[in-house]
Amino acid sequence: MAFDKPIPYSLFPIPHSSFPIPHSPLTMDSSQFQFFPPKLPSQKPLSSKLWKYLILFGLAFLLAWGLSFLFNRQELLLPTGILAGGETTVNNRTSLGYSQPAPNLSPSQLDLHTEGDRAFEATFVTRPADINPGLGPVFNNASCVACHTGDGRGMPVEGQLLVRVSLPANAPVNQQQPVSAGGKNTRQQTIFASHPEASVSLGNAPPVPGLGTQIQDHAVYGYAPEANVKIDWQESQGKYGDGTQYSLRSPNISIALPDGEPLPQNVLTSPRIPPSVFGKGLLEAIPDQTILALADAEDRDRNGISGRPNLVWDGEKKKLVLGRFGHKANTANLLQQAAAAYVNDMGVTNPLFPEANGSTDIDPATLKAATFYTQTLAVPARTLADNPEVKRGHKLFIQANCNGCHIQELKTGNHEIKALANQTIYPYTDMLLHDLGTGLADGRPDFAATGNEWRTAPLWGLGLTQTVLPYSGYLHDGRARTIEEAILWHSGEADPAKEKFRQMQSGERQALVKFLNSL
Amino acid sequence: MSQRQYICLSRIAIALVGLILTGMSGCESNSSSSSNPPGTASSQSTTEEKGKFSHKQIVADFAKQVVVPTQQSFVQRAAALSTAIDTFAKTPNEETLKATRQAWVNTRAAWEQSESFTFGPAESLGYDGALDTWPLNDTDLQAILKSQDRFTPKYIEELKDTEKGFHAIEYLLFGSNHNKKATEFTPRELAYVQALGVNFAQVAKQLADSWTKGVEGKPAYQEVVATAGESSNSTYPTVNAGAEQMVQGIIDSLIEVADEKMGQPFAKKDQKLFESRFGLNTLKDIKSNVKGAQNVYLGAFPDANTSGASLSAYIAEVNPDLDKRVKSGFQDSLAALEKIPDPIEKNLNNPQATASVKYAQEEITEVREILEKEVLPLIK
Repeated sequence: MAFDKPIPYSLFPIPHSSFPIPHSPLTMDSSQFQFFPPKLPSQKPLSSKLWKYLILFGLAFLLAWGLSFLFNRQELLLPTGILAGGETTVNNRTSLGYSQPAPNLSPSQLDLHTEGDRAFEATFVTRPADINPGLGPVFNNASCVACHTGDGRGMPVEGQLLVRVSLPANAPVNQQQPVSAGGKNTRQQTIFASHPEASVSLGNAPPVPGLGTQIQDHAVYGYAPEANVKIDWQESQGKYGDGTQYSLRSPNISIALPDGEPLPQNVLTSPRIPPSVFGKGLLEAIPDQTILALADAEDRDRNGISGRPNLVWDGEKKKLVLGRFGHKANTANLLQQAAAAYVNDMGVTNPLFPEANGSTDIDPATLKAATFYTQTLAVPARTLADNPEVKRGHKLFIQANCNGCHIQELKTGNHEIKALANQTIYPYTDMLLHDLGTGLADGRPDFAATGNEWRTAPLWGLGLTQTVLPYSGYLHDGRARTIEEAILWHSGEADPAKEKFRQMQSGERQALVKFLNSL
Repeated sequence: MSQRQYICLSRIAIALVGLILTGMSGCESNSSSSSNPPGTASSQSTTEEKGKFSHKQIVADFAKQVVVPTQQSFVQRAAALSTAIDTFAKTPNEETLKATRQAWVNTRAAWEQSESFTFGPAESLGYDGALDTWPLNDTDLQAILKSQDRFTPKYIEELKDTEKGFHAIEYLLFGSNHNKKATEFTPRELAYVQALGVNFAQVAKQLADSWTKGVEGKPAYQEVVATAGESSNSTYPTVNAGAEQMVQGIIDSLIEVADEKMGQPFAKKDQKLFESRFGLNTLKDIKSNVKGAQNVYLGAFPDANTSGASLSAYIAEVNPDLDKRVKSGFQDSLAALEKIPDPIEKNLNNPQATASVKYAQEEITEVREILEKEVLPLIK
């Protein structure tokens, strides 16, 4: 019987603990009342006019109290989003917080997830080899996990940061030759059938001869990497509204070709750090209509925020579809994301991107398992959601309209993995592209995304970023060393929100960041 | 207006004033708590009141009495390995080779005891990868040996992780079939393993420094763990998160041991899947992993005789029976591992080995499940 069970206490909103009413007036008799003597001295009866004033006074008090209560307790109306990933949420605030399987998987799904975990961890080596052959010949790193450490984001360092390149869309046609991975080699190329990179530009990001659309800056022994990538940082100073100074850093990427020459001037470059991989299946399960309904390309609601969907090439369906993954939402789904990462980042050919002769380094089952793994990693539950400072920060987050793009609550629709379907989730993203201003712009278009646009980064699990990987950075190229710096880089459509943060008092900024760290 | 009405009205008015004042004071305390300097007593206690578990010392001692001593022992053994390789490279004979192999085994024993706490700067700064990436890139390694490349420190540093570290050294010292003779080493092999040993000892030192001193301008990581729950600590904002890090690390390591390191080679009947197959050392690795997990629970590192406040003591306080079961779970697991014929690599098709491996897996899984289902809820 359902009624036999007591209703869980936590289902109800719990009043703030600093709100005690020691003795309810309703249960008190007058003898307990300490503030007045039990018997009042005889007085003149109050006139009916005074009586009315008193009632008005009381009502005004009640109204004032009600308003002040609501003003101070706005956060009671905010979603706490503790179960950030719905039924896929786990309670784990450790370095392993991004690496847990969703708890609502079936036993056979858990087996597939574990198989995928092995694939994700597998370090590839040069052919021929007994274990995991197929690396390269050119690559960025040798395993999924080497860049997505602890299933989190990577760092802006050599081997983890990668550089996308392309020619301007109007480049002469003879420069737009398809290229093969491999570059200039010093070793017998017969060992490796050379394979093309996985990239479809539809004309606005033509590949660079000799490089393709991604620089592989490593190679197996005897092969030359496509280029050498060096990262330097430059600092720029700024001030908060209260006069406190801050310093922001931005990367200076210098790229040298194997012959020592720099890249041709007209080549567009875009440095990227690897994003985290948990919760991605839920983002895949958000219905297209939900994302499209959030879009406001012409800013019809005149709130200064547009939000545009990316339309990208689906290599399997052979048509343009809504883009979801990658810093510019340039990939349609996780299978294609994983397959492209295998071939582009590790040089590992696979069923979607085979060798010229049709053979592959990994089989369909491995690609499927690795994809399933990224689809079914749990989302960590929030921490300290009841902390007053965190609640205050949440309120400030809303007041600054950060949630104009970092949409808090979304619902997933159908998905072939039932554990992901119909979940209420708190990803803090709208999955749309926004102009974040020239400071962050890479100037390199990617399907419908312009050089100024980036997809709203999901903020769930944000507080675990440096628990999972100490010193890792924020934003697409990892330039922000702290959450504060990441906010301060926001501009363009996010300028008003950033300005609100910049003008906040130090305690408010601290509360806002504490809220973000609670996610 | 009756006296009764008057009193009633006054009570309501007073209650309203009271409510407003309470509301305002709540508001004030919000802003004042945010302006507390980091690490003040009041902000610490707020976090500690939250959960039942609030034993900062257990988390601090985990960092200082378990993690750091384990790493320091590893650094010493890595240095001894480098010295032994050096001696062997200068005077290659069976005796120096044997001593060098033993030094590798010793280093491995310290390293594998740290498997339950591989988080932190070791991952960020690439030390973990440089020390212990598997599998070995045999094709590249042979090509490097055939080349004329000079093994300068910079050259070794820039090698891929699969071309150096534990398993490259292991492969060179033991050979692919564990029957390499001192006379079979080529000068290139000697030079290569010598250079790898020097690099290995350096990286080991950097790893330990990243915890005790801090490298590249970062704070010492032991302090990040030890200050779990302080308001300035966003890595571990609660003491509970610090304690959870300890237990989740144990759980993760025990899964790795039972399901992967032992489980996979037997499940796939593939000898090449044993992690330390060149040195026939996989079973010893596994025992060290379980011992390291036990060290975390007991808050001690017996190899260096260090100990401190422990999870075990806390659990014994709140649920003595549970503590007994965890302790005996670890002991039974270690005893079960002792029953597996060693080297495990040569017993893949031995039915007795298969049975004893299965039994050990069950024992390890049992203690892991107790930690997951009964210990974790007590510290969260």
